[in-house]
Amino acid sequence: MTGVHVLGVGMTKFGKHPEADAAGLGAEAFQEAVGDAGIDPRLIEAAYCGHVFQGMVTGQRILAQVGLAGLPLSNVENACSSGATAIREASLAIRAGEHDVVMAVGTEHLTTKFRGALTPDPSDPEAAVGATMPSIYAMRARRYMEDFGMTRRQLAMVAVKNKRNAAANPLAHFRKEITVEDVLESRPIADPLRLHDCSPVTDGAAAVVLVSDRAAKKLGHERMIRLAASTLFTGSVDVEPTPMTFEPLTHKTAQAAYEKAGIGPDDVDFAEVHDCFSIAEVLRVEGLGLFEQGSYPAAVERGEADIGGRLPINPSGGLLGKGHPLGGTGVAQVVELVRQLRGEAGNRQIEGAKVGLAHCRGGKAVGIEGAACTVQVLVK
Amino acid sequence: MTTTQPETIPESFRPVEFEVTADGQGFLVGSRCGNCGAHFFPVREACAGCLHGDLETVRFSTTATLYTFSVVRQSTPQFEVPYALGYVDLPEGVRVLSQLTGRDPEDYELGMEMELVVEPFGTDEEGNEMAGYRFRPKEGS
Repeated sequence: MTGVHVLGVGMTKFGKHPEADAAGLGAEAFQEAVGDAGIDPRLIEAAYCGHVFQGMVTGQRILAQVGLAGLPLSNVENACSSGATAIREASLAIRAGEHDVVMAVGTEHLTTKFRGALTPDPSDPEAAVGATMPSIYAMRARRYMEDFGMTRRQLAMVAVKNKRNAAANPLAHFRKEITVEDVLESRPIADPLRLHDCSPVTDGAAAVVLVSDRAAKKLGHERMIRLAASTLFTGSVDVEPTPMTFEPLTHKTAQAAYEKAGIGPDDVDFAEVHDCFSIAEVLRVEGLGLFEQGSYPAAVERGEADIGGRLPINPSGGLLGKGHPLGGTGVAQVVELVRQLRGEAGNRQIEGAKVGLAHCRGGKAVGIEGAACTVQVLVK
Repeated sequence: MTTTQPETIPESFRPVEFEVTADGQGFLVGSRCGNCGAHFFPVREACAGCLHGDLETVRFSTTATLYTFSVVRQSTPQFEVPYALGYVDLPEGVRVLSQLTGRDPEDYELGMEMELVVEPFGTDEEGNEMAGYRFRPKEGS
């Protein structure tokens, strides 16, 4: 089976874009990725577009903008893992031998779609009794504090770290560093979480050009990075209630990715993980096996997850700092991995990184631990 | 002599998951696997444990233990904030999300013994009051 390589990446500025729409942002990222790949756009054979709330055929509207309408394209929805799922679908099309050059693009114009707290689908029994995404994570935070003795200050340090990284990322939604006190004094959203514990409502898009070994021989360049694994699972229905302080879904998706890539968690040099809330980063890195369960809050306090620390987490600023345009998020994570592995990450560069991991996890349905989870492993 | 009108019982806000009986009692409704005995909320088509398709629709116990909770301070326009929201574990081995009642929103504790109460829960399209479920701490809890 052929390998898959990331040949080009593109990403818009993340933030509020009142003048743009989802297709326009997607087209901008698309064009940048083609330029970065250094290829004739006519070589692109197929495309996948991840988005959540942008309506029918958003991917086709992007193709129309860039002059490539006519290609096979699928729109992909998997909640906050939509963009990452688009990358996985693109990689499968290449591994299956059907295509050699495929674009994966993720986009979202979220500021025009909702404000306030995101909720599960209104038809869901949990939404019907008042579930919001912040409240679900708040409940997990409270239980984690009870079970593992995490302090509120330690949890705030996750947000402080990610906003510090975002301040060094010109494409991030937030460019201002904050303090622990800023987090603890921000507006309460769902106890114990406050505004700075929550990712913002963001517009943005990102795109990656993936190629097969065969195409890489003809088109490849030194800045190409190998996509060693791209795994996806959906959450299971619990037969018995399980601790909400651990993520079997994240664990399973990561184990499959480690096996495919032929690595273990100790080989990962840095990671972009789905920190939709501060507590989410804690649950994710422990589920991924990058930190032992219950150990991450103290590790963050010691600076182990900082750029320059033992295992940098979310050097881009993560969802908390860079922003979270749902469909764009998973693709933007891979853009960050590629830029770090190429040595193009500017003043947030992680020195000597060879293996990067990206993790997305999205959606909530009653009785299911999590709706969709993806892990991507990129190797220099 | 005056006759009192029999009090009408409001209808359930979610009849599939929550049954309100003629005498005003409320029950969460789910599935029990006829093969392995596992319980699920809400009703399922097949057992997630053994994949058996012979599932029986059952009423669940009205007691539970509070696993975790939050006080929601920002929500959709449908819900007036703040309100307490918690996951409660039923004796059948099922975890259910419910609003909490009976105390100030901040005043719940993990591990508390809870019980289901039927309370007004929004209105239907014609403005009629609907009945929903909340869990409150048991007396002495």
